[in-house]
Amino acid sequence: MATDVVMPRLSDSMEEGTVLKWLVDVGGEVKRGEPLVEIETDKANMTYEADTDGVLIEVLAQEGETLPIGQAIARIGAAGEEPERTADSAQRTEESEVEAEPEPQEEELPAETEAPATRHPRPAPSAGDGNGRVKASPVARRMAREMGLELGGIEGTGPGGRIVKADIEAAAKGGATAVKEREAPAEEAPTTRPQPPATSAGEDGGVKGQTTTQELTRLQRTVSRRMAESKATAPDFQLNMEIDMSGCVELRQRLKEVADAAPSFNDMVVKACAAALREFPRVNGAYRDGQWELYSRVNVGVAVAAQETLVVPTIFDADQKSLGAIARDARDLITKVRDGNITPPELSGGTFTVSNLGMYGIDSFSAVINPPQAAILAVGALKKKPVVDDSGRIVARDMMNVSLICDHRILYGADGAQFLARVRELLEQPLSLAL
Amino acid sequence: MPTMRYREALNQALREEMEADERVFIMGEDIGVFQGAFKVTQGLLEEFGDKRVRDTPISENTIVGVGVGSAMAGLRPVVELMTINFSLLALDQIVNHAAAIHYMFGGQARVPLVVRMPQGGGHQLGPTHSHSLEAMFLHVPGLLVAVPSTAADAKGLLKAAIQDDNPVIFIEHEYLYSQRGEVPENGGPMRFGEAAVRREGSDVTVVGISRMAVTAERAAEQLAHEHELEAEVIDPRTLRPLDLDTILDSVKKTNRAVIVEEGWPHGGVGANLAALIQEQAFDYLDAPVARVTGADVPMPYSKPLEQAAFPHEEHVIQACLALFKDL
Repeated sequence: MATDVVMPRLSDSMEEGTVLKWLVDVGGEVKRGEPLVEIETDKANMTYEADTDGVLIEVLAQEGETLPIGQAIARIGAAGEEPERTADSAQRTEESEVEAEPEPQEEELPAETEAPATRHPRPAPSAGDGNGRVKASPVARRMAREMGLELGGIEGTGPGGRIVKADIEAAAKGGATAVKEREAPAEEAPTTRPQPPATSAGEDGGVKGQTTTQELTRLQRTVSRRMAESKATAPDFQLNMEIDMSGCVELRQRLKEVADAAPSFNDMVVKACAAALREFPRVNGAYRDGQWELYSRVNVGVAVAAQETLVVPTIFDADQKSLGAIARDARDLITKVRDGNITPPELSGGTFTVSNLGMYGIDSFSAVINPPQAAILAVGALKKKPVVDDSGRIVARDMMNVSLICDHRILYGADGAQFLARVRELLEQPLSLAL
Repeated sequence: MPTMRYREALNQALREEMEADERVFIMGEDIGVFQGAFKVTQGLLEEFGDKRVRDTPISENTIVGVGVGSAMAGLRPVVELMTINFSLLALDQIVNHAAAIHYMFGGQARVPLVVRMPQGGGHQLGPTHSHSLEAMFLHVPGLLVAVPSTAADAKGLLKAAIQDDNPVIFIEHEYLYSQRGEVPENGGPMRFGEAAVRREGSDVTVVGISRMAVTAERAAEQLAHEHELEAEVIDPRTLRPLDLDTILDSVKKTNRAVIVEEGWPHGGVGANLAALIQEQAFDYLDAPVARVTGADVPMPYSKPLEQAAFPHEEHVIQACLALFKDL
């Protein structure tokens, strides 16, 4: 008999996923361990493999549809098996129970399907705050539970969009009026990622001309939510410093002579930060719920622009790694990001972030802290500049501006300044970085 | 039914209880010759003599202490403190003795004492005379706490307080003294722990404490006329014992609760009641339990500031509306 394929949990923070592309056509053969479907999570696009052999007899989630984890997205069965085409889920469950099958349907399902909400083969419309928690009053929750209504499908009319008793009563009475988009046809679902983003043109021009609205991709939505959260919650301040990179330029020149791919200046910045983070644990920490969290591992995230969004792959244990190892890690990660096959584990676990816009000729800039991290280092371009040396002469040196943006709830001015001074010391005497 | 002022109803209760039981006597500052700072004890010295109507020096802890001792010895003292602020001088006698004696002596001694005092702002008497401290007494096990808001309740509850064998904190309100209300003729004592539903409604439950029961009722009328919301107004009348059942039944019907009090927000009557409601009616709530309280400041002397420091009808209306929509 057929088994459900459910929306898998592909990252720790994932609560829902979007089906990007079915890699097997309906009726096509499926093999355990072979790619079945591409899924977009909050962090990355992933190829999900089948965990059973059979034939894809039915696709329940069309490309572009977003479903919570645990929801059925397809059914895999034996060749020639008919998909059970019934309109409503309750009826469907009853039928399968009535059928004289050797064992209950549940026992056939893979373990992951024990996640909540598996009982509804039809996709639930998106609702709530985007964090999976639907805002509903206690009485609304109780009534929905008693009536067997799905809160996710009901529009809240209370303060802040809360689902209140009246909404449940309306849903129970009118059904369709209060239930939004429950049976929305598939073609109205959000457009899939590989295609151009969904756009729609406004009807009339107005002073701004014609308006084109673009749906955000999941990654773009994550970036916008987290950046707004950072600015709204972290009282940030910025420390600026100019670093003489002449020593690093010289070091890189020498490394080029011995290595095929010499570490970049950014790799050196990452290495210097990692060493300094080990010495200043609070910079490597986070403010969370009124407490400081200090982490034993130094994992430096490197901001990378790609796919019209921003991702921050992590160089784990950067303080333990040689400059060469950091350079190799960084190169691999950036390639994966650009190719679109970075995985969620490679995008999480960062304890500090380095963002570099030097390649665009930006001298210095401010960045938004990657929450809940304590700080982010914004690195500008390396430029030859006239500098007055110790003996009062004007000399040309390779100068670079950096800015450290700190969360004042965990880092104070002096903390950030000492950390930054240590980073400068390491970069101006870069031999220690080569160790 | 005859109407009378709240202060006259209290006076009647004292007179009737003194007539009915010669163990009842009253004591306090300026209650005899001056006939009371708020004229509650008017005429009683003349009628009952200075053995049963005793003027005292300014000495609150001693006034209550004499009350505790004479109550233990078999009398039924009713002591008056000029304002609730001054009761803080007598907290040792009230909390450490009156409230605890029945328990400490294993029931061998009782303290049938009534401590009467007015509370509340609005008369420009400044922070040393105008606070609302019912939450402070509600906190203490062993004390009964009455907060009557009408003339009828003032009389019925004071009679009940005098007849009760437990120490009673009887909190009157300066604003209410001059308010008129119907009082049943030959009415007996009321029962403690019975809330009054002042107005029935199906949309939101508004619990008003002390004077705020009056404010809540006026707000409810406006809500009905201007916003088509029917508020059910409940006056608990006594905070200990509390008629929680009436409040919970109402909340289960309306699914919303607003608590209005003149006292401070932190650790207030509303804070306590909100906790009880969410503990016992969580699955019936359609909105967070809301509170309307006095401002978190000492009561200002300046008239505009004082008016701004305690709830008025519009605050109650806003709090109710906010449970239904974003304002």
